[in-house]
Amino acid sequence: MSNEIKPDQLLDNIDHTPASGSWMDTPVQIRPGMYCYAAKAESVETLGFPNARPWNPMEDDWKLPENWQEIIHNGIKERLEKFRTFKVFMDICVRCGACADKCHFFLGTGDPKNMPVLRAELLRSVYRNDFTKAAQILKMIPGGEKLSGGRPMNLDVLKEWWYYFFQCTECRRCSVFCPYGIDTAEITIMAREIFNLLGLNIDWIATPVSNCYKTGNHLGIQPHAFKDMLEFFAEDIEEITGVNVEPQFNKKGADILFITPSGDVFADPGTYTCQGYLILFKYLKDKYGLDVTWSTYASEGGNFGFFTSHETMKRLNSKMYAEARRLGVKWILGGECGHMWRVIHQYMDTMNGPADFLEEPVNPITGTKFENAKSTKMVHITEFTADLIKHGKLELDKSRNANRIMTYHDSCNTSRGMGLLEEPRYVLRNVCDNFFEMPENTIREQTFCCGSGSGLNAGENMELRMAGGLPRANAVKYVHEKFGVNTLGTICAIDRAALSTLMEYWVPEVKVYGIHELVGNALILPGEKERETDLRLEPLPGMEDEDE
Amino acid sequence: MVLNPMVSNQLTDLNRQLELNKEKILAKWFEATISSYPEDTARILGKSKNRFDNPVGSATRQSLQDTFDNIMRMSLTENYKEYTNSKLSQTNKEHVDQNRVENSLDPVIRIRAVQNFSASQAVAFVFELKNIVKSVLGELSDKTFDYRVDLVALAAFNRFMKCRENIFLLKATESKRRVHSAFERAGLVTGLTEDELLGSRKS
Repeated sequence: MSNEIKPDQLLDNIDHTPASGSWMDTPVQIRPGMYCYAAKAESVETLGFPNARPWNPMEDDWKLPENWQEIIHNGIKERLEKFRTFKVFMDICVRCGACADKCHFFLGTGDPKNMPVLRAELLRSVYRNDFTKAAQILKMIPGGEKLSGGRPMNLDVLKEWWYYFFQCTECRRCSVFCPYGIDTAEITIMAREIFNLLGLNIDWIATPVSNCYKTGNHLGIQPHAFKDMLEFFAEDIEEITGVNVEPQFNKKGADILFITPSGDVFADPGTYTCQGYLILFKYLKDKYGLDVTWSTYASEGGNFGFFTSHETMKRLNSKMYAEARRLGVKWILGGECGHMWRVIHQYMDTMNGPADFLEEPVNPITGTKFENAKSTKMVHITEFTADLIKHGKLELDKSRNANRIMTYHDSCNTSRGMGLLEEPRYVLRNVCDNFFEMPENTIREQTFCCGSGSGLNAGENMELRMAGGLPRANAVKYVHEKFGVNTLGTICAIDRAALSTLMEYWVPEVKVYGIHELVGNALILPGEKERETDLRLEPLPGMEDEDE
Repeated sequence: MVLNPMVSNQLTDLNRQLELNKEKILAKWFEATISSYPEDTARILGKSKNRFDNPVGSATRQSLQDTFDNIMRMSLTENYKEYTNSKLSQTNKEHVDQNRVENSLDPVIRIRAVQNFSASQAVAFVFELKNIVKSVLGELSDKTFDYRVDLVALAAFNRFMKCRENIFLLKATESKRRVHSAFERAGLVTGLTEDELLGSRKS
């Protein structure tokens, strides 16, 4: 009996660490709450992508074409030849681990395969096996396959790719810390292109892309509904301010074409930001005669084609220049969005340019040349508004936002993708009195992603989104507790939707606002009546009693 | 309710021992909790102390510490006697304790509720505390500590359920908010309003 181990001793000896082994030998387990539903067959068909059929990631059979391995091999080969960056990124990683704990998905989920280095290794291992001399030589000796770090493509590997490359928001935070400048987002982009060769897109991307291709915007809203919605906003604004802001549509010869994500027109709380734009344009028209038009054709600034393939991105983006040409405007102004700006700033010019039929953007009210937009001919609205404020061209009443204790979330694409850091902050400080930054390792170039970008803002993957957004929410919680912050400002349509839900889970006391919603509240329209409410129809600071 | 002097002395003595060994116990408890993650992850969670670079590690550490402090503050009443008969009914005081404990557990449970854990795996770290305390303090002369940990486990289960319900409610309300409410305000559709739907959470 003395040899018998007591329960406590037994418990003391339990090793809680999972059995170690190569990550390659750990097959993927697709967990509900962490993945997005498969693309609908009809949405895949719209753009002529192959293998459109109903399928379910939870089932064993993904209904792949018979030669799917060959398709992947050729898909990788073609992209290695076409994209120098992809080839370089496959070869140069030394696995130093600098990126390992920089990914919001790794930090939030605790899943090692979400370390950027390991996520990339999922693809790199197949690249090594299929395309490097070393692996081909090593394969000839017993056990040599493992030495090269290569592995052949099989169904488990494909499922693992699919699961983890749809747990990357292409935010590029990891690339900021990589000593070699490897951009993991580009690796994800390649993997997702390859998925599309097999009909393996997710529906949250495929259906918006299909809608956009057919009706001009992600939500599939037809032109008359788009117009109705903006006119309805105008009615709301008139009720609040007493001024009819009269949006203009498809106006030939207007000075400026304005394009914003359709989320601003149809999804709360982006709709309030949209009302902010309408108020600004009315102000500029009355004060300075600036003529801004909306388009019911180019009714989408966002571009989920970017999350599908380069070709799809190009097709969806082309309507911006096409509409600018048709209307004969001088240049294009763009609304608050994240990935829309990465497409415009880094791809549009070479993809669908040169836009030599447009003028180099100059603010007609201040004379400021937007040098950074010289080639694309498209200016970000926070640059435009910041310039107007800097030159004293806007009459603002900050006190209307006095109840907003602000912090600011840098969208990944505008901060890391185009260096837009100061302008939104400048606008914020001029329309609000209370502004507190989050800690420096969570903002600007080091900003943490909302966890829902790159087409992952679906509902069925809520656990993934809440885990991915944890590092961001954690920093918001800190400024909420320390400074009493109650409002998170942002300049991205996905953020406005995603962060609202994220806050409800992690910091429910904090609400999400677009920057131009706050501009709309503060801007004093010529001839307006005394406002009693803000754009959300909530009483302005000091007006609470009169509401009762 | 007044405790009988003997039990009261035992408790004070236990609290004193817990206080004296707090650092050691907390270090072991933290270690055991993060060991529920894969090895590569656990290493990173245990490393950086910066609460923004390592949000899960920091929140876990803080949450365990606050919970431990609350365990020491627990006011056990006559139920302690019932506990010896394996009964876990609660008095009002214990209910207050449990709310306090639930709040201190919130950060760690809220995180684990969205991670790759089953319900039992998510709250299992609480039970580790029994053996950790025994390994540090030796076999305890009274059973109140085990009882306290059981109360913590029940609080953890409560909070875990609340977080999961929260997740499902977010799923339900989000799609509606995303597009529907804009149409609704425009009078283009009718149905349950967002306020009505969100109101159900408060009830």
